[in-house]
Amino acid sequence: MGRQPPVLRLFSKAVGGACATMLAVSLLVYLTLEFNGADVAAKVLGPFSAPDQRYAWMREHGYLEPLVLRYLRWLANFVAGNWGTSTYYKEDILALVAPRLASSSILAAGALIVIVPFSIVLGVISGVSEGSALDRAVSSAAILATSLPEFASAALLTALLVFWLNWLPGTSTMSTGFSWRELVLPIAVLSLSSAGYIARITRASIIDVMASPFVHTARMKGCSWRRVVLRHALRHALIAPVTLVLLQIPWILSNVVIVEVFFAYKGLGTLLYEASLNSDIRLIEACSMVSVIAVVSTQVLADVIHGRLNPRIAPWADDALRSRA
Amino acid sequence: MVTLQNKDGSPLHPAVNYMCEKMPRREIDRRGFLRTIAWLGVSVSSARAFLELPTEAHAQPVKIGGRLRFACAIQEISDPALAAWTEGANLYRNCLEFLTEVDADNITHPYLAESWKPSPDLTVWEFKLRKGIRWSNGDAFTSEDVRFNVERWTSKNSKSSNRTAFAAISDFETIDTHTFRLHLNRPVASLPEQFYAYTCPILHRTFDDTGANWPKNPLGTGPFTMTDFRVGRHAIFRRREGYWGTPAFLDEIQYIDMGTDLAAQVAALAAGQADVLYRLTPSELDLLAKLPHAKLLEENSAQTLVLRMQVDQKPFDDIRVRRAIVLAADNQRMLSIAYRGMGIPGANHHVAPMHPEYFPVPPLKRDVAQARSLLAEAGYANGLDLTLTLGNTQGKWEQDTAQILQQNVAEAGIRIKLNVLPAAQYWPVWDKAPFALTAWAHRPLAIMTLDLAYRSGAAWNESHFSDAEFDRALDQALATLLPAERSKTMETVERRLQDSAVMVQPYFARNLAAASANVQGHRAHPSQYYRMDRVWLN
Repeated sequence: MGRQPPVLRLFSKAVGGACATMLAVSLLVYLTLEFNGADVAAKVLGPFSAPDQRYAWMREHGYLEPLVLRYLRWLANFVAGNWGTSTYYKEDILALVAPRLASSSILAAGALIVIVPFSIVLGVISGVSEGSALDRAVSSAAILATSLPEFASAALLTALLVFWLNWLPGTSTMSTGFSWRELVLPIAVLSLSSAGYIARITRASIIDVMASPFVHTARMKGCSWRRVVLRHALRHALIAPVTLVLLQIPWILSNVVIVEVFFAYKGLGTLLYEASLNSDIRLIEACSMVSVIAVVSTQVLADVIHGRLNPRIAPWADDALRSRA
Repeated sequence: MVTLQNKDGSPLHPAVNYMCEKMPRREIDRRGFLRTIAWLGVSVSSARAFLELPTEAHAQPVKIGGRLRFACAIQEISDPALAAWTEGANLYRNCLEFLTEVDADNITHPYLAESWKPSPDLTVWEFKLRKGIRWSNGDAFTSEDVRFNVERWTSKNSKSSNRTAFAAISDFETIDTHTFRLHLNRPVASLPEQFYAYTCPILHRTFDDTGANWPKNPLGTGPFTMTDFRVGRHAIFRRREGYWGTPAFLDEIQYIDMGTDLAAQVAALAAGQADVLYRLTPSELDLLAKLPHAKLLEENSAQTLVLRMQVDQKPFDDIRVRRAIVLAADNQRMLSIAYRGMGIPGANHHVAPMHPEYFPVPPLKRDVAQARSLLAEAGYANGLDLTLTLGNTQGKWEQDTAQILQQNVAEAGIRIKLNVLPAAQYWPVWDKAPFALTAWAHRPLAIMTLDLAYRSGAAWNESHFSDAEFDRALDQALATLLPAERSKTMETVERRLQDSAVMVQPYFARNLAAASANVQGHRAHPSQYYRMDRVWLN
């Protein structure tokens, strides 16, 4: 049994890796968007600007300097919080991004709150009653949910719940203030695919665990099925699904764009979408970096949690522990 | 016997009597009469009485109050004279006003200008402004405000399309605080109608001094004030006290940006989150038909698509290639399939039958065999590869139209590759691509569009078409007052454009919009210019 190191050391190791990733992505983002300074000037000043206007702008904003210097200056500005002004929205970018990030986080959090209980409960139920009609029904529903792409499930749910049954609002612009009803459809669409997938994984995991020797032992010692499942099997069966839920977060963050655009929800996804369509370079950079930070930090969290759940494959496990895996 | 009167009581323009004689002999139709009479400064109500038409009245009693939610894109509107989209114009239209107003029947009415009178040769126009109009900051509205705007539009540095539209204005003469004269370097009959273009609202004379950013300082003479504006989000207007005219019926209008997906907007209408939708395409008609409490609004319009070729770029510099493409195209089929037949077929000369100056130059008959032989003559016996750039700026029906053209010309051996860009990326290249599809908005007069798009060196001449005889004929048409005579001149204009095979202009699309059943007084305007002060909710 290896010694668990202090929290600080394990976090700093993970954070170090995360920073390296973010640095690499920032370089990629910068090179993609700002390699050619003249293009940037054209996009900021507009298509009707004259060449001498663009040259003057480039000189003023340091675009005549070498690429490395420009990149480092941009990075320093980014870390300091000077993200510039949006050419499309004509507002300060930091002030623009913050509320949108909060809105997207609400969607992502809502999706997780729906996915975790649903998929685990359904997965356990179908796994425990493997082969029965209930299992087949739940499995089929899970496969269907996973196979539908977001734009299809969004259209389907809207047709059903908005047009036919008139139960829910059609768009989620929150124009009259915050509204829970407007969150239902986006969260439902976002959760559907992931929930089906996690349910299937949970089912497989439970089946695997229920066939293991210690479960047989517990049964022979006289435990009821309920006690066996809840007290003994679950904590082992949940290792895989919980990890996968955390790994789904990047997937949710990228699919949130589709859902936000479909329902006109004012989140980071629609912001990035509008910025891309309107060639708003500073805003694209800011949104990309924010997304990267969000993804990388959740992955660090995932590694740490997984490490606690399963000490054998923790990042801080020593060789003696690993060899006993 | 009812006599016609000018709005200001002055003697009538000499042409008015001539028109009155022609009317009973049916040499001018009623609409043409009303339109032309309105340009000459005659009061429309006296004209209607003369024609023994019933006066306009509301069918139902009006209800005051309420809040209307209008779903449309909220765009940047810092400088109204530079507006490129009508959505933005509909926002500032609630606060800013125009010298004249053109209704959905294309008849010009007084607005900020109370009356106007042209000289007999139509080169000097005297306008009298209404008295007692105040800006929202309390300043009086005077001819100085109008001078500021007109000079701004026509200045050499102006980037506005108004510079071309009002190129005929050579001098602005202030007579007093509420009267001014415009001196033109050539006669223009329809000048008053042009003042309602969406780029022509009258801004406060200090606009440039206070930063030239209208939303930051939204001064206006109109019935509403803007209380909140966020690009891509919403714009909110409240009824304003101190308006010079009839107060608006609605208390508040909220314009909400519901994204670009029109099906989502119809969903919003279904769920009661919006009361009015700005625009629909034929794809949403079936969905809308299923909603019991929503109604479709439609209106004939001269909005159209031009699949134009730049006549100075290879291979389009050879007229045989252009004629081959035009002959192989099937305009009627594009209308039936891409727009469900809801429109009028075009004849590639950008003049619609609804335009008063229309001369019936019929569309070309499709002839694939001749197209092939023309191509072979031009040296492309093995076919031709082309790229068509488009942006779906008005909807996916643009792409559908392009695909049908692609199929049409494939029969003649021309292979078109479609280069579909997002709308915002199309605008930077719309006048640079050699072969592109551009959507053109409705204008009440065809000559306004032809002046902007096909005159040599015009601001929006994307095809680089340049023909001296066309320009001459266009000048003549602009100066001719009587519809019948103007039509004769238009024959030359239309034929020269059609014969030059500058573009495939397949159809004029009906304007489609939608509203909740309780919205009254709202009509689908062919130019999508929506005045909201006469709209009310039941």
